Amino acid sequence: MRRGELVVDRVWKRFRADRRRTLLRDELERLRARRRGEQRGWTWALRDISFSAGPGDSVGIVGRNGSGKTTLLRLLAGVMYPYAGKIELSGKLGTLINMSAGLHPDLTGQENIFIQGSLIGLKRKEIARRFDEIVEFAELEDAIRRQVKFYSSGMQLRLGFSTAAFLDPDVLLVDEVLAAGDAAFQQKCLARTTEKIKSGTTFIFVSHDLQSVEGMCRQGIWLRDGIVAAAGPVRHAVGAYRDWVERFEANYRDRLRKSGEARIVKMAVTGPEGNGIRSEEPIEIRTVVESPDQRQGTLYLGISEGPSRPIFVVHSELALQNGHTEARCEIPNLPLPRGRFYVWVGLFDKSGRDLLPWQPATEFDVTGPDLHPTPQGIVRLSPIQMSTAWEVDHP
Amino acid sequence: MSVSAAIPESPPADLRYRRRVSVVDSARELWQAREFVLALFERQLRARYKQAFLGFAWAIIPPLIFMVVLTAFVQKAVKIPTGGIPYPLFSYVALVPWNFFSSSVTSGATSIVTSLDVMNKMYVPREVFPISTILSNAVDALISLVGLVILFVFYSWAPRGTSVWVPLLLLVQMAMTLGITFMFSSLVVYLRDLRYAMSIIIQIGLFATPILYGIDRIPHALRLPYSLLNPLAPVIDGYRRTVILGQDPSWGLLLPAAGMSFIYLVLGFRIFKRLETGFSDIA
Repeated sequence: MRRGELVVDRVWKRFRADRRRTLLRDELERLRARRRGEQRGWTWALRDISFSAGPGDSVGIVGRNGSGKTTLLRLLAGVMYPYAGKIELSGKLGTLINMSAGLHPDLTGQENIFIQGSLIGLKRKEIARRFDEIVEFAELEDAIRRQVKFYSSGMQLRLGFSTAAFLDPDVLLVDEVLAAGDAAFQQKCLARTTEKIKSGTTFIFVSHDLQSVEGMCRQGIWLRDGIVAAAGPVRHAVGAYRDWVERFEANYRDRLRKSGEARIVKMAVTGPEGNGIRSEEPIEIRTVVESPDQRQGTLYLGISEGPSRPIFVVHSELALQNGHTEARCEIPNLPLPRGRFYVWVGLFDKSGRDLLPWQPATEFDVTGPDLHPTPQGIVRLSPIQMSTAWEVDHP
Repeated sequence: MSVSAAIPESPPADLRYRRRVSVVDSARELWQAREFVLALFERQLRARYKQAFLGFAWAIIPPLIFMVVLTAFVQKAVKIPTGGIPYPLFSYVALVPWNFFSSSVTSGATSIVTSLDVMNKMYVPREVFPISTILSNAVDALISLVGLVILFVFYSWAPRGTSVWVPLLLLVQMAMTLGITFMFSSLVVYLRDLRYAMSIIIQIGLFATPILYGIDRIPHALRLPYSLLNPLAPVIDGYRRTVILGQDPSWGLLLPAAGMSFIYLVLGFRIFKRLETGFSDIA
């Protein structure tokens, strides 16, 4: 096997459904159940996973929470063992799992770097050569001599990424780094990672931030309930995931009826004068809420792409009447490209309690120009500042 | 990359993952992780001896106080024959190794459970955690030897030449300590309440080992089964004989016990290696 090569061959992994119960009593109960011939308590986290990657490859693994992404990453990192199948990996392994970085919180940043280096098989001299670079990249300066448990989460993240990425790993495994950390550091990580991939590092990235995955990886794997649902070029795999989520979300309106103290009677998105919705043109979001009594609340609306967090959120105070209340929100200049988007809605009282839980309520299609594809290494997070105009009345 | 069409309910039996554990590979991994062992060891020591003076005192005071209590009460109530050795010396020379064993096992048993988080971040040979705990307890034991020196001076007693056997005794003790610690540290991950049971076992062990009394209190015919059951008995008796009395260890008991300790070590290591594949599944 070449250095940096990674082969996952028909890997299966299962967990105990009640795996946190670890007392003698629990074990006896399990034993008794098995005596009675009951086969229970195991769930498959991963089933029949196969893929391979080599130097210079970048693979993004996407999927919902609980789909097995992190389990797969842990198996690759060698901290967990498969139930069946095999994983072969050659070369030095750099891992950043769990965001909180630094191997051991009681050790200083410096000790952590040297220990992680020695664990992946580097000589002291080799680590010392990279040490300054790591500290500089992580922007830690003197803090490097402090115990990691006193670091802020941002510092921990920076140390973790720098250590994983600068100890010259042949395979780099990264879990959700880009969800935390400030934008400038994220961009630095992206640049560094792209550079490493170009110089022949195998990069495996697990995230549910689809934009990051598309921005950093060439290949993609979509895990659904522990199986590979789609794999191939990143746009294909992530696209399949998005489509599925949309279909899955299509039945959200049924759930909406039963939720909260207030409920949504009607939700509609319209373009100007009943025309279609177009980029850069005004739209109106009409929300009709039914409430059992008179009360004061704040209505929040968010626009998202697929299942992810909203691109932007707007809000307005809303005086609810006993019965129906209609709120119309006009967005004068819709800053969205062509595609399907979702409207999220939530209604909260002054103490922050939800009268209507935050959830997707309807979808709409925008016609207009496609989003311009960005080159590898640029991640779009779409931060948008909105100006809105509201009208409230009680028909 | 391709997507397989039909996935069976469970994997075919021949696909089952088998982990091959070799002692050589484990030793190599452990050697590669030596810096981590040392760093953990140093960290544990530093945490314990933060206040330099009292920290060190804490290593000597407990066995000393225990020895004083034993001398003042137990020895007064039941005259324990010591073969002419002052009782403080008689008990202290046994208490130091016993404390080393019992504190290693007690703190070693939870060393895996408290480090599960660390283990989930990157691959580290798991033996690192119990081993570094045992090392830091060894330092405690070394420090508490100061108490022994004081006693030697006080009773103008000198360690005998037969003390050359101590390294051998220590070797047997280490095998036993490692084996038991490996065993418990891995079992506690799956049976968290075992640690409570363990503290009881350790307390019983204090009385089931010739610490307060000499091994000659055990009927002759029972000494061999007793030593096999509790390999620490002839070891601790051995320290007393070699260091204080100037006698050789009682080989007839020590050698079988050494064999038994080795069996404990192998057994403990095998249990540990067998169970460690599931450590991360529970965290």
